[in-house]
Amino acid sequence: MSNKLIDFMNISKAYGMQTVLDDFNLYIRENEFLTLLGPSGCGKTTTLRILGGFETPDAGRVIFDGKDITDLPPNKRQLNTVFQKYALFTHMTIADNIAFGLKIKNKSKQYIHDKIKYALKLVNLDGFENRMPDSLSGGQQQRIAIARAIVNEPKVLLLDEPLGALDLKLRQDMQYELIRLKNELGITFLYVTHDQEEALTMSDTIVVMNQGYIQQIGTPEKIYNEPENAFVADFIGESNIIPATMVEDRLVKILGVNFACVDEGFGQNKPVDVVIRPEDIDLLKPGQGSMDGVVTHLIFKGVHYEMEVMANNYEWLVHSTDMFPVGTEVSIHVDPFDIQIMKKPESEDEEAVNIEE
Amino acid sequence: MIKKSLQKLYLALIFIILYAPIVTLMVLSFNQSKTRSKWGGFTLKWYKELFQNEQIMSAFYTTLIIAFLSAAAATVIGTAAAIAIQGMKNRWRTLYMGVTNIPMMNAEIVMGVSLMLLFIACRMTLGFGTILIAHITFNIPYVILSVAPKLKQTNRHVYEAALDLGASPLNAFFKVVFPDIVPGVLSGFMLAFTMSLDDFVITHFTKGPGIDTLSTKIYTEVRKGIKPEIYALSTIMFVTVLVLLILINYSPEEKEETRKKRVKKPSKVKKVLFRRVIPAVICAVFVFGGFYYAQESNMMNSEKVVVYNWGEYLDPEVLTLFEQETGIDVVYEEFETNEILYPKISSGAIAYDVICPSDYMIQRMIENDLLAEINFDNIPNVKNIGKDYMEQSRQFDPENKYSVPYCWGTVGILYNKTMVDEPITSWSVLWDEKYKDNILMQDSVRDAFGVTLKYLGYSLNSTDLDELTEARDLLIKQKPLVQAYVIDQVRDKMIGNEAAIGVIYSGEAIYTQMENPDLEYVIPEEGSNIWIDSWVIPKNAENKENAEKFINFLCRPEIALMNFEYITYSTPNSEARKLIEDEAIRNSEIAFPDLSKYDNLETFQYLGTEADQTYGELWNQVKSR
Repeated sequence: MSNKLIDFMNISKAYGMQTVLDDFNLYIRENEFLTLLGPSGCGKTTTLRILGGFETPDAGRVIFDGKDITDLPPNKRQLNTVFQKYALFTHMTIADNIAFGLKIKNKSKQYIHDKIKYALKLVNLDGFENRMPDSLSGGQQQRIAIARAIVNEPKVLLLDEPLGALDLKLRQDMQYELIRLKNELGITFLYVTHDQEEALTMSDTIVVMNQGYIQQIGTPEKIYNEPENAFVADFIGESNIIPATMVEDRLVKILGVNFACVDEGFGQNKPVDVVIRPEDIDLLKPGQGSMDGVVTHLIFKGVHYEMEVMANNYEWLVHSTDMFPVGTEVSIHVDPFDIQIMKKPESEDEEAVNIEE
Repeated sequence: MIKKSLQKLYLALIFIILYAPIVTLMVLSFNQSKTRSKWGGFTLKWYKELFQNEQIMSAFYTTLIIAFLSAAAATVIGTAAAIAIQGMKNRWRTLYMGVTNIPMMNAEIVMGVSLMLLFIACRMTLGFGTILIAHITFNIPYVILSVAPKLKQTNRHVYEAALDLGASPLNAFFKVVFPDIVPGVLSGFMLAFTMSLDDFVITHFTKGPGIDTLSTKIYTEVRKGIKPEIYALSTIMFVTVLVLLILINYSPEEKEETRKKRVKKPSKVKKVLFRRVIPAVICAVFVFGGFYYAQESNMMNSEKVVVYNWGEYLDPEVLTLFEQETGIDVVYEEFETNEILYPKISSGAIAYDVICPSDYMIQRMIENDLLAEINFDNIPNVKNIGKDYMEQSRQFDPENKYSVPYCWGTVGILYNKTMVDEPITSWSVLWDEKYKDNILMQDSVRDAFGVTLKYLGYSLNSTDLDELTEARDLLIKQKPLVQAYVIDQVRDKMIGNEAAIGVIYSGEAIYTQMENPDLEYVIPEEGSNIWIDSWVIPKNAENKENAEKFINFLCRPEIALMNFEYITYSTPNSEARKLIEDEAIRNSEIAFPDLSKYDNLETFQYLGTEADQTYGELWNQVKSR
């Protein structure tokens, strides 16, 4: 990919006694759709606000396009933000809202007029110029907020949980809309969310954060399929996280049963955690798989059935398009490449360690 | 059905209770007759007189200017404070909000007194400036209180969004945050404006001589009986406020549906016109009218004399003549009783140049070294004052060094010939069961006790506790018979036939007789009080020479005559008496009784602090029974 556009260098930030970011390092490439993903309080919004200029870090520098912008006020930064609750100017028309930034920059009337037309077309809201914000639906308001930001031609668009206030259907539509916008505009998006589905759908790169530390950085596929620790595995999707022992390279003992796997280099007889996604478990007839058990719960989820299988004193979560009624005796099978081995953290602190890519 | 009509009835009742007083006032403002008790036909003359009454109009405009300036300043300061408080951390915010609320919770009188003390400590002259500062101070919390909730409602991100789009912090505030909180700011302004208009207590303590707001002016007037001009003024104010409220609340309101789909600009014009422009224009007319008026009257002149006189105790025309002739501006203020006057002089908070206390109060002031010796070289006209009166003055000013007599008179009984059976000659009539609820007593310690002591055959300067106790018991016994204890209202009530008998000063008697020929004045045979009010100059006077010029001017026969005709109290100016055209008055027994016929007339003496307290306690016992 292309070169670094934004570089967070050793950023620390605390509110009173509470440390939010501790020696935080991250870079964002040009034209990247990067998502900061994590539970509330993980520091993702603070990171975005530091980049937006609304917060000053206690230590560290922010480099933007080769220049140090750490002390630059928000109105002097070449980036724009889409806020959580839209933050439209309710006393102005849609056109005035969109023109706000352009008027401050003293653009010509014609230019502003053309830009408004272009932006409204881009967000599929032609002809809304003279409406007032409160007469628009949530989704429409959000699109206006985006239009208001992008007419200023920022190099980076910051989005702070922009879909948080929308209902499910609208949220899904807006995800496609955002991907399309990103492709049409060709600018960098920094997206903040706690919704793993949004992150997986739209991002080029996901940064999973917890308690001010980066847990893992990677493509959506990598994050989902190869979580580096239990936190990431647990946070992204549903999974079976089981303590196990690495017997030797490519062989792991789970709940007393040896499974073939593809991982190497953990040493011999080392305690590890394994992650097995529920949809990666195949249910076979008793005796045909690695471990026998009984179905204890069954729920129909639409796309698949969700089942719980009791085997070797562990309740396995299984997703399958085949239905096995409660009480059915089954056998569990997992393909070697579907078993993800993670180093076991030796302490609580290590669980939240800052991992360099 | 019944429930509905009951609801309506209830509502109607509430409205009647709420508005009956205002309607009464409005009706009275069109009443031809000067007394409240009878309807004399429809007239607009009070409105005409109102606009010609310079004092009321100037008080009115002072009120408006102070209200406007203090509300404006408080709005700016309060809004800024609200924004700062909003930005604080929770704990500090609660603390600051609590602190700013204190002035609102605090008793007004505490606020007024403490502000006055502060101003005096800072050596500020009490006047327009101090009232303004005081009003700004107590208005700020109201602004904060109405702006803060609006700020809380606004999305913090809206401000950040504006910054994000390139606006400078100031620009972002005015373009984005301010429009959101404008309703709060406006209502804060309106609240502050009305609080300032309303305020009496704080203004009373922080004002200086020569400046009055409506509330302090009306207060002064009330003590003398409310003039119908005040009804007219109140009516105008009420109607103005009503019209403003109607304009603001019932402007053409577009329906919710059209609002949703509307194209913004055209339909808004009407709304803005009704809600903002017209009210703003009305306010502006008043306020700038005020500034214009203030400039016209040109209050501030380097040469001035500060006069502190009894209410209605000088022909205003005399002040104009004095100002024209000498070029000295007269700052004129009025008091109601000697007891109100005394602490103002003794505290030295305000430097009055010339004041007009009564005999016993002058004696007290001399004893407490509060008065300056008058340089009689500057007052040649003192020769016009009758020798008798200068001689009488020696009772309280033994060397005639400090005072120049201005008015004098006696205390007696005013009675309505049609309401009593036989001519009255004795104080005993005040204890006559026949006249139950038809008697008006003076609401002042010395007058009430003086009358009683005289009736009992004692001196009205008695300090003998037994005599005083006897008098007290007699006054308590009299209480059920008394219709009211009043000061200046005796006059109006007697003219209006509201009572049969009243204790009154002789000067009032002449006026009441002209208004109502059924009234008769008598000095009871047991004797009575003769009083003299004289001009004196306080020690801390800043314009002593001007004060002497003023006194000299008042001693001119033709000027003394003007004042006599205006106040109708007997003048000690012998030359002036000769000029009285009406022979009946010139030789009136009431106005100029032959003093040789009465050997039992006494002036009040200052009795000392201890006796003062005794009198006060005994009087309280009477009043509280």
